[in-house]
Amino acid sequence: MFVLRMAVRETRSSWRRLLFFFICIAVGVGAIVALRSVIQSVRDVFRQEAKSLIAADVIISTNREWTPGARHAIDRRLREAGITTRTDSVETPTMVRPADESKRVSRMVELRAVEQAFPLYGTLELDGGQVYSHALLAHRGALVRPELLTALGIAVGDEIVIGRVPFTIRGVIRNEPGRRVGDFSLGPRVLVDYADLPDTGLLTFGSRVRRVVLVRMPEHVIDAVVKALRSDFKDQFINTRSFRGTDDEIGKDFERAENYLSLVGLVIVILGGIAVSSVTRVFVLQKMHSIAVLKCLGGTSWQIITIYMLQVMTLGLAGSVLGVGLARLAIAAIPYAVQSAPSSLLTEVHYGVTLSAAAQGIGIGVLVSLLFSVVPLLQVRDVKPSLLLRDDAKVPARDWTKITAAVLVSVGLIALTAWQASSLSIGVAVCTGFAALAMVLIGAGRVLVKAIAPLAQAPLFPLRHAVLHLSRPGNQTRVILLAVGLGAFFIVGVRSLQSSLLEEFSLQSAENSPDMFLLDVQPQQSGPMATFLRAPTRSAGNFRLIPVLRARVTGISGRETTIENLEDVRARGSLAREYTVTYRVGLEPNEQIVEGQFWDGPSSEAEVSIERGLHERFQINVGDTVRFDILGRVVNAKVSSVRQVDFRDSRAGGFMFVFRPGVLDDAPHTFIAPLKGPSDVQARARFQHDLVEQFPNVSVIDFREILITVRDVMSKVTLAISVVGGLVLFSGALILVGAVAMTKFQRVYEAAIFKTLGATTTTIGTMLLFEYGVLGMLSGTVGSLGAVALTWGVSRYALDIPWRPFLGEHLMSVGVTAFMVAAIGVASSLDVLRNKPLATLRSE
Amino acid sequence: MIELRNVSKTVTSGTELLTILHPLTTTIPRGQFVAVVGPSGSGKSTLLGLLAGLDSPTTGAVVIDGVDITTLSEDELARLRGQKIGFVFQFFHLIPSLTAYENVAVPMELRGRADAGTRAHALLEDVGLTGRAHHYPSQLSGGEQQRVALARALANVPPILLADEPTGNLDSENGRLIMELLTSIHRTRNTTLVLVTHDKELAALADVCIRMRDGRVV
Repeated sequence: MFVLRMAVRETRSSWRRLLFFFICIAVGVGAIVALRSVIQSVRDVFRQEAKSLIAADVIISTNREWTPGARHAIDRRLREAGITTRTDSVETPTMVRPADESKRVSRMVELRAVEQAFPLYGTLELDGGQVYSHALLAHRGALVRPELLTALGIAVGDEIVIGRVPFTIRGVIRNEPGRRVGDFSLGPRVLVDYADLPDTGLLTFGSRVRRVVLVRMPEHVIDAVVKALRSDFKDQFINTRSFRGTDDEIGKDFERAENYLSLVGLVIVILGGIAVSSVTRVFVLQKMHSIAVLKCLGGTSWQIITIYMLQVMTLGLAGSVLGVGLARLAIAAIPYAVQSAPSSLLTEVHYGVTLSAAAQGIGIGVLVSLLFSVVPLLQVRDVKPSLLLRDDAKVPARDWTKITAAVLVSVGLIALTAWQASSLSIGVAVCTGFAALAMVLIGAGRVLVKAIAPLAQAPLFPLRHAVLHLSRPGNQTRVILLAVGLGAFFIVGVRSLQSSLLEEFSLQSAENSPDMFLLDVQPQQSGPMATFLRAPTRSAGNFRLIPVLRARVTGISGRETTIENLEDVRARGSLAREYTVTYRVGLEPNEQIVEGQFWDGPSSEAEVSIERGLHERFQINVGDTVRFDILGRVVNAKVSSVRQVDFRDSRAGGFMFVFRPGVLDDAPHTFIAPLKGPSDVQARARFQHDLVEQFPNVSVIDFREILITVRDVMSKVTLAISVVGGLVLFSGALILVGAVAMTKFQRVYEAAIFKTLGATTTTIGTMLLFEYGVLGMLSGTVGSLGAVALTWGVSRYALDIPWRPFLGEHLMSVGVTAFMVAAIGVASSLDVLRNKPLATLRSE
Repeated sequence: MIELRNVSKTVTSGTELLTILHPLTTTIPRGQFVAVVGPSGSGKSTLLGLLAGLDSPTTGAVVIDGVDITTLSEDELARLRGQKIGFVFQFFHLIPSLTAYENVAVPMELRGRADAGTRAHALLEDVGLTGRAHHYPSQLSGGEQQRVALARALANVPPILLADEPTGNLDSENGRLIMELLTSIHRTRNTTLVLVTHDKELAALADVCIRMRDGRVV
């Protein structure tokens, strides 16, 4: 009871001093609660909508033409299960243009041809309250996304040409079942009747068509049918999945996102925790006198420790509750933010703080406060009541209780992180990473403080004392370095990476390099295409027609790797994907042989050159034999060389597999053509339009448009990460203000003595400015150095792009951080400058 | 009864050992008023700190009611003080974050007394501070702070009251008031009172006077 009463009294008197640190906890808890709540709410809606997300109970799909055998197997399995509700659908990217010849534009779209029964689940929503029925598509009708109307400058009622035939736009799609939010798309959706597709001529051999059978079936047969079909198509390129799979997949995606994002929140909370630890240490130092008095009056160490621990937990709880409030506010703003989102699913979500997220957030806030305050609170045991008579308190050299507590706290933190990430290994990794980063920051800080130590001899009085202050007992140098340094590290790191990537892309889109890709040029079109491109009016630059085939690896027989069948290939992840391959005699300028020898002419023996990544990832070596399925034909090719490809210039030939000419020349293949399109925007649109008009099946990928999309995506990602970095920096600023407030008592006294000895307010102000300026500069430097290391590592190992230092950006960040810290530091110390010396000295 | 058996205290000053209290053996019977006098640095406060268990002696034993307190742990000493010893300091040593009333209530609360609140008010009334109960130490004058400290020292009705120059920081009027309170408590409650002072007039009020110089009794 006494302990509780004292905790209330202590909190009453010192909550203001500790406020900033608990706002840090609040910011972190707010981040965790908001992220978890939003993701949980969105996940629930997605889960409820899982069936309509794939628009069926089961989907069977293939990138090849249905073979009679496959159709037969599907029919038989569905018949056996007594299933009758099914519908066919075909998806393919293609170019469309307005039928109106005066509009000389074209656009790549994702075409989907559907039958009467589509959709089996969910509703196809149309703009303007129009109700979907298949009749809208019958007889060459089309439904399109609004983006296409804008891009082509057309309206409902107008005609567009798809392949060889015109379609009338009969409505605008608002929401379509079977299309997931955030799915990568090459262009806006266009929906047509399945029966009209053959007329378009798009189903030519080799074109990128996905054929889908959507099936509706009773719940209890789903698993059995999926299992049976999977075993039927074990060795074929046919994929079967149920809505449950989608549900699981969505569940996993969201869980992963939730856990990773929560870790970011946890980092902020831990930062707050570090602040709690630091403030508790200073707090105990300031309270030594009161602790000695309490001991003198009969209080035991544990009673006193419990008092302060309760106080910390109360404030931790208050901070966490405030965090939940902040999360509520942030979440309340979401419906306004997603109003304009293209997917209506996001607007259907009921956004609010979920109970589990709030409980977790509060639990974490209180736990972190407790964990980080335990070790510094143990100092209470070292305070002797004799302090009231004589100031000779000694601290034992090695305190096993403290060491044990520190170990237990570390274990607790790892457990907390592991809980948040739902993985022990990630928990350990994050904690180790954080500890390593903290140690590097502190170590670098220590080195830098030492490096500027000679300035303590500087003739300038304020500078001399500012430097001395950085290493005085009870200083906040470490905690400020850590908090502000970490914030700077996040922001500068992300910004540098973004600049690096953007520069990389702009390099790629440099003057004379190709900026357009033609896909699906049929062999018989190669001649007319060359003529088309060579026409002077087209102003198309150099072009090449590169033969391409689509191939899949079905087996490997090699020194290190032996894979027998397709199932085992699938187990190797990306090795199972469909590769675009080519054949040619020589190397491209962006290629270099790192192992083996490149052929010098055609051969009737199948030989293949692989990219270095394949060699490293899947241990495929020179001399191994790789079995390919190239459009149904089995090709066993011997690996004769390993190439290093510079993917920055991949449009000249970024192929993972290159075959020796001779074997594939007669296989059915298409051509791709990288070329430099006209530079003028209108000429470019006209060029694409004319090309599509003459070659309706050919798709054009405009690299300039992709670059714009990439820039857009990147700026969004950068913004998101910068917001997180901003939160970290905000916490850093709070810790800074708090740290200044905590050590203010010391400064007020020192300032009073300085003033008594003749220092003016300006001198003391300059001293503060120097002290915080230097501290800010150190934090900025440490953060920038960390960012340099981060960008180097990510560029070198993750993105495989050359590292660029961006010296200017780093120097600017050091300057900005120094300015910010100095401004906040001086602003929070204004009363140190204002206080009258006599009043201060008298009260001491 | 308090017994000092060959008690000494040596501290390290830089690299040298400095004996601030030379071996001392004496007995203070229950209810006696002892004054300890001597110049600054003579070891008076050290002696008082050893009696209260605030500090541990380098040699010897301090026995209070048959218990050698030098063998007790920090927490056992704390409990002993809460039960048997009241201490009044020259610099008051009130807890700045607590009100006068709360400062007085603390020792009783530490012992789990249910009447801590009412008794704290009564004690403040005894020392003439009824109207100042909810003021913080910084809002009280030196004399008022010392009276709060005295009320706090008396909270658990300790059989031993130790006072370290309780009037040293007060004007003569407040000093007189504090001494009246101390002596009255000693008389009415038969409390053992050990008073460290510079003031010969105050020392003259005591039953026994211990004079000290350079850490020795003279």
